[in-house]
Amino acid sequence: MARLFVRRRDGRIEVRLNDQGRTIAREAFGHVYAAEHDPTHDWHHTLNSPIDPSKDVDDPMAVLARQAQTGSNAELAIATLHEEFLTEAEAWAWLMTLQVSLRATAAANGLFDLEKLQQADAELRDYIETLQAFLFGLADIL
Amino acid sequence: MPSVKRQTDVRTETTVATTSATITERPWNVVVWDDPVTPMKVVVVIFKKIFGYPDNKCTQLMLTVHHEGRAVVWSGSSERAQGYCVKLQVAGLQATIEQAGE
Repeated sequence: MARLFVRRRDGRIEVRLNDQGRTIAREAFGHVYAAEHDPTHDWHHTLNSPIDPSKDVDDPMAVLARQAQTGSNAELAIATLHEEFLTEAEAWAWLMTLQVSLRATAAANGLFDLEKLQQADAELRDYIETLQAFLFGLADIL
Repeated sequence: MPSVKRQTDVRTETTVATTSATITERPWNVVVWDDPVTPMKVVVVIFKKIFGYPDNKCTQLMLTVHHEGRAVVWSGSSERAQGYCVKLQVAGLQATIEQAGE
């Protein structure tokens, strides 16, 4: 399988996604950005899971920091969606936003264990496997 | 011959009373939970990025998450545990904090 991301000798990361791949990435990044800003979004709950489950309410400063960092990663990923090369920081923003998107997709579809994942419809499994392939590619060079 | 006046060092001794108080508080654990979709390799690189652990420790922690459903990846003060938990959540992992011994 062709590598989707390649580390160049100058340290930059070459993105070898085709148009279809970038469309999937744009959708994933866009959902994370929207969910972080829209409390009614399906993924909002997943993006705001408890930090300390023993407390009724988490520390507001920690919640704010999480929202700011997640939103900022998604913004950076969207801004660099069509770039041929990424910096290290941009590649990390891609990885983290894709990973947030992957887990939120699984949670929103009730895929909390392997059995449920295997029973999911083919289209959803394909989408999940595509995001996983992107993440494998990024993890390989980071 | 001029007389030399010898100076004597004068040392002042100060007694400092110190009070030592030992506060023992159970440490806070940062826990990462398993999920069925996150690639193992991604978990390893995220641990390395956030904690700076060596590769073999990151891999060992990832395997503990995978086989046991959860792993304590860091222990210490409440504030730092919360900070690490936020970083892990921002990176897309399912993480929480809990006080050790709970």
